[in-house]
Amino acid sequence: MKKEWNQYDPGSLYDELIAAVHQPREASYKLVEYLRHLTPDRFRQCVQESEVVIREMGITFTVYSDAGNIDRAWPFDIIPRIIHAAEWDRTEIGLKQRIRALNMFIQDIYNGGQILKDGVMPADVVLQSKGYRKACIGMTPPHGVWANICGSDLVRHSDGVLYVLEDNLRVPSGVAYMLENRNITKRVLPEIFNTLPIRPVSNYPAQLYEMLASLRPDLDDPTIALMTPGVYNSAYFEHAFLAQQAGLVLLEGADLVVGNDNYVYMKTIKGLERVDVIYRRIDDDFIDPEVFREDSMLGVPGIMRAWKEGKVAIANAPGCGVADDKVIYAYVPDMIRYYLGEEPSLPNVPTYVCRRDEDRAYVLEHLAELVVKPANESGGYGMLVGPHSTPEKVEEFRKLIQEDPNNYIAQPTLSLSVTPTSCETADKGYIKIAPRHVDLRPFILSGKDIFVTPGGLTRVALVEGSLIVNSSQGGGSKDTWIVGDVQEGEEV
Amino acid sequence: MLSRVAERVYWMARYLERAEKTARLINVHTALLMDLPGRMEINWFTLIRLFNAEKVFSEHYQSGNEANIMQFLIADTNNSSSLATSLANVRENVRTSLDVLPEEIWEQANQIHLLMTNSLPRISDRYSRQIFLREVMKHCQCIRGALDSNMSRDHSFDFMQIGKHLERTDMTSRILEMTSLLLSEDRSDTLRKYDGILWTNLLQALGGRQMYLQHVHSRVEGASVMRFLMNDNVFPGSVSYSLAAMSRRMRYLPDPEMAMTMAYRVLEHTKREDVGAIPAEKVHTLMDYLQSELGVLHTEIAKTWFYPDSNGQQQAQG
Repeated sequence: MKKEWNQYDPGSLYDELIAAVHQPREASYKLVEYLRHLTPDRFRQCVQESEVVIREMGITFTVYSDAGNIDRAWPFDIIPRIIHAAEWDRTEIGLKQRIRALNMFIQDIYNGGQILKDGVMPADVVLQSKGYRKACIGMTPPHGVWANICGSDLVRHSDGVLYVLEDNLRVPSGVAYMLENRNITKRVLPEIFNTLPIRPVSNYPAQLYEMLASLRPDLDDPTIALMTPGVYNSAYFEHAFLAQQAGLVLLEGADLVVGNDNYVYMKTIKGLERVDVIYRRIDDDFIDPEVFREDSMLGVPGIMRAWKEGKVAIANAPGCGVADDKVIYAYVPDMIRYYLGEEPSLPNVPTYVCRRDEDRAYVLEHLAELVVKPANESGGYGMLVGPHSTPEKVEEFRKLIQEDPNNYIAQPTLSLSVTPTSCETADKGYIKIAPRHVDLRPFILSGKDIFVTPGGLTRVALVEGSLIVNSSQGGGSKDTWIVGDVQEGEEV
Repeated sequence: MLSRVAERVYWMARYLERAEKTARLINVHTALLMDLPGRMEINWFTLIRLFNAEKVFSEHYQSGNEANIMQFLIADTNNSSSLATSLANVRENVRTSLDVLPEEIWEQANQIHLLMTNSLPRISDRYSRQIFLREVMKHCQCIRGALDSNMSRDHSFDFMQIGKHLERTDMTSRILEMTSLLLSEDRSDTLRKYDGILWTNLLQALGGRQMYLQHVHSRVEGASVMRFLMNDNVFPGSVSYSLAAMSRRMRYLPDPEMAMTMAYRVLEHTKREDVGAIPAEKVHTLMDYLQSELGVLHTEIAKTWFYPDSNGQQQAQG
């Protein structure tokens, strides 16, 4: 593959593996050398092997719109993305700092809201947030931690800096694919693991279990369950995989019942048995028809009562989505300063909050250059991407912002970093190596302690020039390596 | 364990047994027909009768030729007991009980699924079909082997054993039901000439030829084969053995009394009759009885452990 790699040119974009033509970055030098020396036939064989492995391992995701074809094979690219260990250590510190502040914020919001009284944030931003739950007022979950599992999205801009794009606090998904990506790579490129000190990710299920168990410090051996919306949910593969790997009982709302004593019980062949901790993969809205949506068939009536009395621990805690809001996101650096008295070590993407007069004036003047996002939508809905938009669309958003400035934020258009990715060419069978845009979702576990996955799930936009990394829309994924220095003469 | 999961692993084991037996039966039957002259009471359609599928088959196919019958029994998803349906159900039940199964089972289930998808276009060809069916049998045995060696003897395992034995008894009884043809007084002289071959193939279909030769007789003859498959105490494919194994497993489960009593009742009944000595019509009746009792037993199992609150009425699978 010498020719392919020698010709590889990321252009003006920041590339995760290649600094410039012929110049792999320090941490990726050995990987690139290895791949360069594969013959095109051998490389193609590796790609095919990865496809077989994915099918055999049954790594799938579900797409609702796919009639008759419920499970799609997970899209995966065999060329890993690498981050230098030193950079990752700094990132990890920043992620831990961030989740500590976010959890202190949620705890504060439901217990007096000192941050609002001190005027650090406007109260209505919080109280009108879609994730704010009155039912949670006065609650303190174990260790004061609300967001036990967080998946923050990081992107690298052309300045080489990693920015936090958003914090997914409700029911973040993707960690199973991070684990499976590593398993696939181990099977497809086993030799490379001898030459590089790659940080392992396989400890995640055990860490997840420990974190969940720590939510019931009063019990030696709590019964821990993972609650799924069911076998047709788009993330069901992940739910089943995590339950299997971490040794959790996999159950659905219909398997549970809340007793008169306000404990939560599951229906077993022996009758009812108590459940102590629930890792729920179902939204707040559906968790308890007594408190939230009455029409929910997925939840358990009374589970909020049980939670409030401390008879069951729920991860993530209901109401934690209050911090998962794009306007509130803009205030996270302020939260870090306010609660921790520290400067944020991971930057936010610069964000203009349209409710601020000065910010709004700037936004309205520069609409065509900016990305505008409504506060509560996710998955890229209701957004304006200025540079790729039409004048009509820009005018439409000008009106929207003027009518409801509180609901909008705006950010400069980032130039996402790229990484070498194998792409099929029209000439069937020939594989080209080309730069494709990536993001990164590390996962942060918070219970008694905080744990960050080394790396995370790298998603990649497989279509040339595209920034869309969602697997449901044709995005793919890559194994992500945190690679340290190898000392001279050291064996890995 | 969760009632819902108990139901899924029970059905997983039933479909696994059904798939393996179906593959074996088709292969043995194909070999048998190669030994027999044409135009006999035993032909391709015998397989359809064995699965009680005459009606469904005639709704979808014009002619009972080899190609149609193989398509129907192997690939047709309209047929609730086709190999494709059974294997799809195995995979779906594994997919939805990953938390209680040894992890490599999922990979095995996917391998069979892929084998299935890749091989179906070629099943009309007898040569490829035989290779495919042997692969299916091998994969089924791999799954069973992984379960046997890696799975704790917990309730999930108990439910699998119960499912496996119940399905096995059911399959055996269907095959034995067909033997009434071999025993009937008015069978053709040609058929009589092939008695030995037919009984040997029957034993092979149930994986018991060699054990029969070792433990019963070195000569294969009807009455002994019937007795062996019904009442042998050490052959794991016999009806008595399976029924007894099933009740033994039930003892480990909570509140097993009703279901165990039923299983014993069926066992006693089958032991009371000497199948080697009764006329063809009575064999038929006995097998009908056995199958309907297995249905009742299934309902009792569902009522006791899968749907303790709703009288066993919700039966999602079948």
